Amino acid sequence: MNAFSRRHVIGAAGALAATAAFGPEAWAQSKTRLVIGMSLEPPVLDPTKNAAAAIREIACPSIFESLGRIDRAGAVGPGLAESWTVSADGKEYVFKLRTGVKFHDGEALDAAVAKFSLDRLFAADSTVPAKSLYTDIDKVEAVDAATIRIVLKSPNSYLLYNLSLGDASIMHPKSAATNDRKPVGTGPFTFKERKEGDSITLARSPTYRDAGAIRLDTVVFKVVKDPSAQVNALLAGDVDTFPGFQAPELVERLRKDARFAVVVGTTEGEVIMATNNGKKPFDSLKVRQAMAHAINREELIGAESGFGTPIGSHFAPHNKAYVDLSKTYPFDIAKGKALLAEAGHPNGFEASLKLPPVGYAQRAGEVLASQLGKIGIKVSITQLQWPQWLSEVFKERNYDLTIVAHTEANDLDRYARDGYYWGYDSAEFKARWREVVAATDFARRDELLKDCQRIIARDAVNGYLYQLAKIGVWKKDLIGMWENSPTPSVDLSGVHWR
Amino acid sequence: MIDFLTRRFAAALVTLALATVVVFTVVEVLPGDPALVMLGTDARPDTLAALRAQYGFDQPLPVRYGRWIAGLASFDLGASHAYGTPVGKLIGDRLMVTLPLGALALSWALLVAIPLGVFAAWKHGGPGDWGVMGFAQIGLSVPNFWFGIVLVLLFAVTWQVFPAGGFPGWQEPLNALHALILPALSLSLGEIAILTRVTRSAMLDTLREDYVRTARAKGLSESRVLFGHALRNALIPVATVAGLIAGFLIAGAVIIESVFRLPGAGQLVYDSINNRDLVVIKNVVILFTLLVLLVNLLVDLAYVLLDPRPRVSA
Repeated sequence: MNAFSRRHVIGAAGALAATAAFGPEAWAQSKTRLVIGMSLEPPVLDPTKNAAAAIREIACPSIFESLGRIDRAGAVGPGLAESWTVSADGKEYVFKLRTGVKFHDGEALDAAVAKFSLDRLFAADSTVPAKSLYTDIDKVEAVDAATIRIVLKSPNSYLLYNLSLGDASIMHPKSAATNDRKPVGTGPFTFKERKEGDSITLARSPTYRDAGAIRLDTVVFKVVKDPSAQVNALLAGDVDTFPGFQAPELVERLRKDARFAVVVGTTEGEVIMATNNGKKPFDSLKVRQAMAHAINREELIGAESGFGTPIGSHFAPHNKAYVDLSKTYPFDIAKGKALLAEAGHPNGFEASLKLPPVGYAQRAGEVLASQLGKIGIKVSITQLQWPQWLSEVFKERNYDLTIVAHTEANDLDRYARDGYYWGYDSAEFKARWREVVAATDFARRDELLKDCQRIIARDAVNGYLYQLAKIGVWKKDLIGMWENSPTPSVDLSGVHWR
Repeated sequence: MIDFLTRRFAAALVTLALATVVVFTVVEVLPGDPALVMLGTDARPDTLAALRAQYGFDQPLPVRYGRWIAGLASFDLGASHAYGTPVGKLIGDRLMVTLPLGALALSWALLVAIPLGVFAAWKHGGPGDWGVMGFAQIGLSVPNFWFGIVLVLLFAVTWQVFPAGGFPGWQEPLNALHALILPALSLSLGEIAILTRVTRSAMLDTLREDYVRTARAKGLSESRVLFGHALRNALIPVATVAGLIAGFLIAGAVIIESVFRLPGAGQLVYDSINNRDLVVIKNVVILFTLLVLLVNLLVDLAYVLLDPRPRVSA
């Protein structure tokens, strides 16, 4: 007897009426319904109105689709555009849109709709969170009903990728203003219902072009924030899967349960000890090198219950342009002390470590503080709420050290930004990054990316700790969930019950 | 009596007015930029400025206070920045969880605590008294969220007779009630302990009164002495404490709602603070203030009904 029917029987023991009331729960395991647990609740459901990753996880590409589509390997393939060509100088992209695509409210997709969506991204008064990814676009033209041309001010080798992100979701002018609460897209699922603070329910779209790929009728995203409540929700059968399980210390418990598969994959999240390069004494290369020698990555990964891959630069190990730089400044306390003395701090100094309220930072904080303590840096830890971290650390740069994961793909560009919170300013890196962006040959771009990794590793801009793992937990008879997380998305195409 | 209640009502209004100033000030000095929270780390300065202007964050404080009060007075609370939903609807939906939860916990607490307290006072000094006081001591020491987790492990994970959390909504009334039982039990544990102790000591006091001796001397049965004479007077401090506890129940609900993942008002406050959803925080806190004031007014009314003396002294 499974969990639901047992509860059902006890419910029925009271009265017949109770049987009817408890009835719907018995359907929770029917084979076309999936309940997905989420650690964070999305605010609105429109990725062009808010930066929260949870919006993209739920809505992209299940509700909203983009011109391209990022697959489970992180590669860009056709999305709402079935093909495209790029001019030799890399400044002109022509996209051929799929024909016959309908929005969930029956409106048709055409070049004018696509142009409307793309124009919103870089318009002067745009409040799209990811606007900076699209400001290289000069103009978008509707060539004919099914063709658009995008003209760039300067070549951008990441344009296709960026146009495949949920940030560049194609929306219809009629529904764009209300997509925050009633999202209407072209994707395989329609928005059905939201209970704020509890759940978001999607239903299979009857008009989706590739009906065969969608094998679920109802998908419920249930918000369960507390880690032990997440485990209980799985054990009690209230939730079928946590694609991104957030409590590594509780994984053992789930591994012992024969009903569940625990699948460890990769993410784009580099966990770094972000360092304020613009502030004394961290403006000194020797001080940063000394700290790099003090970092014991094995011990830090141990605090994550062994989940994570050591990194020596700001780049994901599964990427093909990755170079292993984790031994650039190997763990060596004596060397760290010596470098600190050379930098004029034979007795160390005091520093603050401001932690955001996220699990990995909480787990790594004490460990890192004690590691730096071994070369004489007395670290005091301050806990911040997320909005405080954003204002105090990120915006005002009022910090020494912090621990944070940078979860975007292709985010090396941050090292070329002026006024970014690390305060790193390197003409060499900026020049190399400009070449990366302008590259039209991807093999050449990979070589340049390797250079970029080497420059920031050598400069010890930040402490490079480890790449976050994606811990997926799901019932063993659930097939097709993504093992890795190349982009914040719970892509349900092909997902089905055995 | 009317005079007494009018004065209490006027005091409540003044408190409410002061509360709006305090709440507004505290919310405004909270570190953190709501626009930055919404748009994230990739947002450009011009985008942030555009969003701030859109939400009126760039207006001077007195203007924003004035707008808020005007909105409150006309029952137009505005829309949540994070959810895009009207604040009134958002709070209303959440109260449909928290108020029944609190009411269930409080009723359960009174139902258990008063008989226990009376029993302990009646058996004063005996093993029954010790047993009840021991139970109360444990109830006070055990954190209610821990008790909640234990309940989930037993009733949801092991025996699977209650859900581990979540709330199906009142469209399914029996399921909804089912989902509230474990949370209400965990929430009431500490309150039972407090109310038991208060009832016991109030009963002990009244049992020493002359009129109780007279009642006993008249030859009334023990149950009539206990429940007909002593308890009625003992209930005044119990009502006072129960009123205070109603406020704590709302605070305790924040944690219990998180353990049982109930979409209640406590969780809404917690999330709104984390999202810097200022318009929601302000209105929820004021609503809670209003609720606590209302409960206290009801307690004042209960005094009048239980004991005629405040009518005279006022």
